[in-house]
Amino acid sequence: MFLIKLAVKNLIRHHVRTIITAGIIAFAIFFYILLDSLILGMTDMSYKSIIDYQAGHMQIVNKEYWEDKDKLPLEHLIKPDSALIEKIISAEGFKAYSPELDIKAMLNNGMDELPVTVKAVRPDKFLDVYPIEDKFVEGSMCRAGEYKAVMGKELAELMKLEVGDYIILLFRDKNETYNTMDLEISGLIHTPNPNLNNNTVIVPSDIAGAALSTDNAVSRIIVRLDNKNLAAETGKTLKSQTDNDLGVYIWSELDAVSVAGAKNMGNSLVLIIILLIAGIAIINTVILAALERMEEIGMMKAMGLEEREIIFTFVMESTGIGLLGGIIGIILGFFGALLLVNVGMDWSAMLNMDMTQYGIPVIGTLYGSWNPRTFIQVFLFGVIVSMLSSILPAWWAAKKDPVKAIYHR
Amino acid sequence: MALLELSKIHKVYDQGKIEVHALRGIDLEVEEGEFATVFGPSGSGKTTLLNLIGCLDRPTEGSITFNGKALGEASKRELAMIRRFNMGFVFQSHNLIPVLTAYENVEFAIRLTKKYSRKQQHERVMKSLAEVGLDGLEQRRPNELSGGQKQRVAIARALVKEPKLVLADEPSASLDSTTSKEVLEVMLKMNETLGTTFVFSTHDPLVMDYARRLLEIRDGKISKDKKKERNNVSD
Repeated sequence: MFLIKLAVKNLIRHHVRTIITAGIIAFAIFFYILLDSLILGMTDMSYKSIIDYQAGHMQIVNKEYWEDKDKLPLEHLIKPDSALIEKIISAEGFKAYSPELDIKAMLNNGMDELPVTVKAVRPDKFLDVYPIEDKFVEGSMCRAGEYKAVMGKELAELMKLEVGDYIILLFRDKNETYNTMDLEISGLIHTPNPNLNNNTVIVPSDIAGAALSTDNAVSRIIVRLDNKNLAAETGKTLKSQTDNDLGVYIWSELDAVSVAGAKNMGNSLVLIIILLIAGIAIINTVILAALERMEEIGMMKAMGLEEREIIFTFVMESTGIGLLGGIIGIILGFFGALLLVNVGMDWSAMLNMDMTQYGIPVIGTLYGSWNPRTFIQVFLFGVIVSMLSSILPAWWAAKKDPVKAIYHR
Repeated sequence: MALLELSKIHKVYDQGKIEVHALRGIDLEVEEGEFATVFGPSGSGKTTLLNLIGCLDRPTEGSITFNGKALGEASKRELAMIRRFNMGFVFQSHNLIPVLTAYENVEFAIRLTKKYSRKQQHERVMKSLAEVGLDGLEQRRPNELSGGQKQRVAIARALVKEPKLVLADEPSASLDSTTSKEVLEVMLKMNETLGTTFVFSTHDPLVMDYARRLLEIRDGKISKDKKKERNNVSD
């Protein structure tokens, strides 16, 4: 206890140094909490973007099609017959479904060509599953039976197209024959999903189906549920009810979700490095303290203190700094995260650029997310880093020859 | 049996290409209750000798026995325990812990021994401080004390655990003659009442006047070893 008391008194004696070092740790912890909240918020928005604009909560696809899904083949399509639709509608938490036929095509504006993905959809069903009605920056959704198309604002800008302009889509139909569709642009959308903005053209499925000779077959049926947490259970039930050659794939199984998770891990690594920098600050402080207190260390050794007791004193000081920094850091982090969760940050306005261009699924304000576990983890991590990083310099100090230490000037 | 026995002690400092022979074959016995002073010119080896006696350093050659235990065979921990329980140190520069009060500096030494209850510790600390004339100044920090008062705290710290041996390296060097006398009187009193053994290293004639054994050291050897009566230094 006396050594702990001595450590506390030393911290108070060197209060400026204590505050500066604790401040570095506090800043690192504050920064970690803030970034963690932002990354979590961004991950949540990524998932939301995948669900809202790409894959729904789950999709029913032929298993063989799923193997080649990136090639968007016209093989292994499914027929959304009434029995299958009935099963989908009666699934727990069902909200809406949208059959979708995806193909690769060349978009031609009369001068230039660009490869795009064509989504042939039933417009009414599509709007039930994907909340894009308020994402139209110009025009409106195409309707069934109309030779019209919807595309992203970015794609239209790239191809110098406007609402009312005509486009030609060149593709191969099911019989491997080249075919085209002439379509008028009915609307332009701007969503948080870069895929939808940059390289997708949405067309009515009845028009596309006729041109593709697919006989009303679709690539996938996208299903939206009441909430994403139902997907795993509902997907499992639906899988047991559908034909063996059909697969039910929930949103969390998508590659894009894994990528978002991996990004999260990478960012955590960067944040750990920030806290290690705080560790270096501690090492610096302990070395400075040891050099300053060399005569004291010598006297302590002369009084009969063992090396481990001297190390303990220094480690207690660093732990104290870590505790102080940790407490300040989580208090600051709490208020920072509170602001992020409730007020958010409008990156697009702040940086005057469209973040979706860079693959960041944010339009307008980015909100943070609460992660109470991070508060506990980062606090403990800060204290442990402070404690551990002081051991080596403290050992160095305790190892000093007592004679040299006593007569140190 | 002598409290301290040194036999053929050599100490060589390796300073790169040069070897400095600080001690060249010291033989010495110090009995319990002695009040001895090692004196000699600067660089003669006084402090080196005290450091070896105090288990702060090890000799290059020779053996030291303290209280019947051969120090050459002792581990670092054993040496620390010998210092903790049986030795007290007084250095020229006091070496008080600046964040602790006078009371706490003295308390630190006695708490390490874990021999006494809290109440006994308190009584002993207060008694030690009173004996060195510091009653009423217990709560002062070192920076609030004069040089003489600091040295008295250092003496109280060395004596509070009633060690067998107190080693004092130039204890009067930073003190005026009046304060030096007061401090030496305190140590002499401890020597006479408790039988504590004192070994000083000094240049100060006043300390030599107080001593009852004078050990002159020159070029790393004891050149004179003379026992004497204490001079009258009351004025």
